[in-house]
Amino acid sequence: MSAESNRQNPEPGARGSDGMIRAASLPAGRWQSRVDVWSPGVRWLLGVAFIYMGLAKALDPVDFLKLVRQYEMIQHPYLLNALAASLPWFEVYCGLLLITGIGVRGSALLLGTMLVGFNLVLVKRALAIQAVLSLPFCAIKFDCGCGAGEVYICRKLAENLCLLVLAVWLVMSRNRRFCWRHSLFI
Amino acid sequence: MIQEAVVILVAGGALALVANHLSPRGVVLSRNYFPGAVPGIVSRPVVAAPPAGNSESTNALAAISEESLKERFKAQGLQLADSNLVIQLFRDPRYASELVVFLDARDDQHYQEGHVPGAYQFDHYRAEKHLATILPVCQTADQVVIYCNGGLCEDSEFSALMLIEAGVLKERLWVYGGGMTEWKTNNLPVEIGARQSGQLLPGQSSAPSSPSETNPP
Repeated sequence: MSAESNRQNPEPGARGSDGMIRAASLPAGRWQSRVDVWSPGVRWLLGVAFIYMGLAKALDPVDFLKLVRQYEMIQHPYLLNALAASLPWFEVYCGLLLITGIGVRGSALLLGTMLVGFNLVLVKRALAIQAVLSLPFCAIKFDCGCGAGEVYICRKLAENLCLLVLAVWLVMSRNRRFCWRHSLFI
Repeated sequence: MIQEAVVILVAGGALALVANHLSPRGVVLSRNYFPGAVPGIVSRPVVAAPPAGNSESTNALAAISEESLKERFKAQGLQLADSNLVIQLFRDPRYASELVVFLDARDDQHYQEGHVPGAYQFDHYRAEKHLATILPVCQTADQVVIYCNGGLCEDSEFSALMLIEAGVLKERLWVYGGGMTEWKTNNLPVEIGARQSGQLLPGQSSAPSSPSETNPP
């Protein structure tokens, strides 16, 4: 792991495999190196968050199934079952990949896409509740099936946005420190 | 990176389904957990928090729920029981001999926290746990009352539909729309713990020797 780490993460200013001097002094390069410095921590944070949320759902998938149904996205019972059965474990799986550093950018891309989707359906559901109850948007509170019980919608959206930022961070990062296999195809 | 994401998605999806299959609490993929559910009719919050004093909004929600409840029952051909009928059945002498049976369609936690005295638990999401016990009882009973939490809860309906599918006569089944919430509001006895534990909620008098001896206020 350390050999790959040294090979893939040379010091700023060192000559890369393509023969070019790393442009650490350029603003874009500095920005990239800052992203890279924090990426192991970001990776572990996002991984732990998804393992926690996934396990919370996977331990009671029937409850999760009931909550997913409330979104009324899928009418077919077997598709609904498949989603409720697989999504929690898929989150755990992606979390484990991030923590071990396997296929980091691909996992982060998937999690980021999922977070965008989650936020869209959360907003849709909150708006539906708001239409019935005539409450201020941020006063809407419900069990979103996110693994954290009942939450206020604005707080949940903010949390998801933070996680989305972390996922985008990892998609941008090239740091291979403490990664088992940062990229599956290189 | 997209190629990598696709590989992770496919492998992860397959592993997730295997994990679900191996989990003792996993979802059974081939089962319809919501029999008879009418698409679009159940558009409601699990929990919503109206601010204190916003009774108008709450009443509006209750009215909508009552309407959607009646609509659903009509569509499914189920019999809706009001609190008068349920109290009458609870006090019926046949209750002691299990010719009148109450079924609690909620999960373990809710059941343990309080149920109608003498009610059997039938959490239809985990039907395999309960069917062997309750099916013979329901098939020999004259009247079966099924309840869950109350108007916003559908589990009693799903349980009723599952029992009909299992061979219990539709005419014998009643779904108590008010559910446990209305039961408690009416200050009726609530048994805690296991069935026939004899323990009532704190503040209620000692357990009746038979449900027929319990008098509603």
